[in-house]
Amino acid sequence: MLKADKSLGIVFFPAFDWAISPTHPERQERLLYTQDQLREEGLFDIEGVTEHKPDVAAIEDVERVHFCFPEVSAVTTRSHLISAGGAMKAADLVMQGECDRAFAMVRPPGHHAMKVVHGARGFCNINIEAVMVEHIRETYGHRRVAIVDTDCHHGDGTQDVYWHDPDTLFISLHQDGRTLYPGSGFPHELGGPKAMGRTLNIPLPPNTSDEGFLMVMERVVLPILDDFKPDLIINSAGQDNHFTDPITDMNFSARGYAALSDMLKPDIAVLEGGYSIQGALPYINLGLCLAMAGVDYSLVREPNFSPELIRQDARTTAYIEELCRQLPALYFDPPPYNRKNDVRQGVISGNTLVRQRQIYYDTDGINETQRETLFLCDECRGLLKVETRADSGPQCLGVEIPVHACPDCRSRGYQIVEDAQLKGNARYIQLINRLDRDYLRVGF
Amino acid sequence: MLLGIDVGGTHTDAVVISLEGGVRILASCKVPTRHDALLSSVTEALETILGQVDPAGVTRLNLSTTLSTNAIVQGRTEDVGVLVSAGPGIDPHNFMPCRNFHVIDGSIDHRGNEVRALSPRQLSDAVDACRANEVRVYAAVSKFSTRNPRHENAIRRAVLQCREEADCEYADFVTSGHQLGGALNFPRRVATAYFNCAVWRLYNHFATAVERALADMGLGHVKVNMLKADGGTMPLTRSRRMPVQSIFSGPAASVMGIIALTDIFHDSVILDIGGTTTDIAVFADGAPLIEREGIAIGSHPTLVPALKVLSIGIGGDSVISVSEASGTVRVGPNRLGPSVCLGGGQPALTDALNATGACAVGDTAASRAALEALAAAHSMDATALARAAVDYATKTIHNATRDLVDEINSKPVYTIHELLEDKRVVPKKVYLMGGPANALKMPLFERFQLSTEVPAHSGVANAIGAALTRTTWELELFADTQRHVLFIPSLSYRENIPTSYGQRDAEKDAMNQLAMQLDSMGVFLRPEDAQITHSSSFTMVEDMEQVGRNIRVKSQVRPGVVATIREG
Ligand SMILES: [Zn+2]
Ligand SMILES: [Zn+2]
Repeated sequence: MLKADKSLGIVFFPAFDWAISPTHPERQERLLYTQDQLREEGLFDIEGVTEHKPDVAAIEDVERVHFCFPEVSAVTTRSHLISAGGAMKAADLVMQGECDRAFAMVRPPGHHAMKVVHGARGFCNINIEAVMVEHIRETYGHRRVAIVDTDCHHGDGTQDVYWHDPDTLFISLHQDGRTLYPGSGFPHELGGPKAMGRTLNIPLPPNTSDEGFLMVMERVVLPILDDFKPDLIINSAGQDNHFTDPITDMNFSARGYAALSDMLKPDIAVLEGGYSIQGALPYINLGLCLAMAGVDYSLVREPNFSPELIRQDARTTAYIEELCRQLPALYFDPPPYNRKNDVRQGVISGNTLVRQRQIYYDTDGINETQRETLFLCDECRGLLKVETRADSGPQCLGVEIPVHACPDCRSRGYQIVEDAQLKGNARYIQLINRLDRDYLRVGF
Repeated sequence: MLLGIDVGGTHTDAVVISLEGGVRILASCKVPTRHDALLSSVTEALETILGQVDPAGVTRLNLSTTLSTNAIVQGRTEDVGVLVSAGPGIDPHNFMPCRNFHVIDGSIDHRGNEVRALSPRQLSDAVDACRANEVRVYAAVSKFSTRNPRHENAIRRAVLQCREEADCEYADFVTSGHQLGGALNFPRRVATAYFNCAVWRLYNHFATAVERALADMGLGHVKVNMLKADGGTMPLTRSRRMPVQSIFSGPAASVMGIIALTDIFHDSVILDIGGTTTDIAVFADGAPLIEREGIAIGSHPTLVPALKVLSIGIGGDSVISVSEASGTVRVGPNRLGPSVCLGGGQPALTDALNATGACAVGDTAASRAALEALAAAHSMDATALARAAVDYATKTIHNATRDLVDEINSKPVYTIHELLEDKRVVPKKVYLMGGPANALKMPLFERFQLSTEVPAHSGVANAIGAALTRTTWELELFADTQRHVLFIPSLSYRENIPTSYGQRDAEKDAMNQLAMQLDSMGVFLRPEDAQITHSSSFTMVEDMEQVGRNIRVKSQVRPGVVATIREG
């Protein structure tokens, strides 16, 4: 019988009774053929590979991460809480030593969900990786975490959640934002002033093939991970770079995905997108499981796969080689934070950073206007305040006192919440106090 | 009158049961099992018991035998040619069950599309190689054959080169993977098809001998059924092509015995405490739990449906040992002959139960003396040693039961609905059977803190279970309205369906086919015994258009007994 080199826990939750709409790419049978393939391959009979039931994330697991307005139950369904709970379960398997590695093969996905949530963006309501990471930090102590997002779309939600966090390295490989939703993820997006270089975007040109992805892994991602020395490596494993994916333009293969995972060696992988449900997902997910378990994946291949047909051209290779030359410096030697005129990117005046943003929730058709203030502090990461309003909805306020906050930032956080309650200029107020684990919600 | 025979590890038990004017046990007996001549154990049991009733009144014999299991365990199996088509995925050589194993290029995908045809050249080379090795039985297995058996059929044709095995000069038997059932799991399908072939000849010789023996005894009119591991029976003629299904039917017989002897409504634990092992089974809402995919034979997981039974090395003959270092008293997992009270050389659990006064089996003074000797060697008190041994045994059984229930409760679920239902098995009652059952009743009650019952007739419960078990069958139906095809793998049944074919149509067809199957076996299906155990329908979408439905339905005849025997 086959034996896994690394014990792998798989949390498989296909949510066979949940869909966005009958013909939406994110619908009931998205993982049906993956399930068929994994079962037919006898994956769960491999010694060391086990299947586990997801947990259900509690409201407080979500409120540890997101400012949800008007409240968590209004922007999530049961399946979102189970999907996030599936990721949490994967984390627990690894953190408690039950498995060497874990893969949460769950839906719906989460990496487009930002710090503030008014609804669904890019099929995502809550950021299941972030809920998982903060569950780990709250339960097992603060960890340095690297999240490598290999979904074809820019992981703008995860980037936003960790924009000001120097302990979380976020690297996103994706199809160039000039050619694909959500249109962000450029190299100059490097994180806030307290976390410059902790966000790294690697926009790849359309038609990038195995060669390009693996080159970027080898020349950019692995050296940076080597330097950052994370306690945990997490893979936001989106499978939509596949050459058959209907909503993207890349040329990655199942074996390429497995090889990438083999190089990255993630402790935990969490499924994100991937909408070629018949021709790609069964093979990519199988390859990924085998790679994570340290089992030979060299015979995993799509029907009629031909490397010649998807090979990237010389211009693409040259472009990616140039990216590999330039990008590492953005992490190893980030430029000084110097934003004076662009309100969208943030303006520093005195000891505050202020960003004004418009965010569009494409799945739910909501427009959000947001003003984010970070109090720059020499003692800690700084207090975060977000004033937000969705379309014609009421004004809402989110305040976050970070972990390791200094006493000044802590008391300023409570002061802001108290003032807002007295003045009543925000209908809903949410306080996230990671220092004392105090989570407060006021509103009517 | 119904006959039940259970060929067990130590004893072969037989009962005759009458269903007229209430269910009654007319006769029962126990004879020793001779593993080198199983048929003689069966005939001895038959002769013993038929001396007590009128043979002409017997209508049915249900038989549970360790024949196939023993043959595999002892390596008395036949060389098999295993020819597989795997396509991309895990290297099939990892699942190679034997030396005449050949992988043929070709591939079928998860929807049953042939992606690549079988290589005719490789196929004929493989067949030639097997023939050169004088192989006479073959397993034909392809990945996703339960969606499309095309490759398995091609392999079968290449092996036989004629329609039926009977006409073929090169081979005697071919197992096609898809006929083993509709479940997905290629490595298990390979192993199951292999074992089915490996015991085929031996099993068929046994079946023929049983039929002849019955005819010789004037029982030619008796309908013979074989017990399966899932707690059902299959007609003997049917079992000739499916001998692998008779494997591990022993524990199933005891579980069915309990069902016949008691009224189980709640979540319960069944403990069958034998000489060498204790078999633990779990009931949820009064129904026995089954292995999710199939039972493992040695280190090979298979697709053979089976009741979920955990077997641990604690029984009446389990040896008592005392650790030199810590003085800890242990029981099992070894058996070194019978207990001292029954003529053995080393004190065992039954001796400890004799010493505590929980029972009085055989020579109780010998038990006492053996325990005193063992206790003295470790400067202990004999009564304390006996108590510690019983404690250890009940604790081991209790821990194993708890682990089994935990494992059952952590089984994954696939829909929000299932997760919200959050059905957990919480045992409320313990049923005991087997030799030491009465003696261990109080100690186990104290350990489990649950109502504990030893049903009457529990000594021959296995044979009673065998006698009263009814015929079961299950089938899986797949329909793909985009490809306009319906397929029932275990029947090799294929039909064209219209675009409008729906989930309800599939459920109706699955039930009808089930009834027709049983009818062809001469079994009348009561509608209330059949059920749909899985039904799903997924809309398939291409380019934002709904292009068809992917429907999966599973129907079965629930395992059960034809009648129950109650005290009073
Ligand atoms: Zn995506
Ligand atoms: Zn501070």
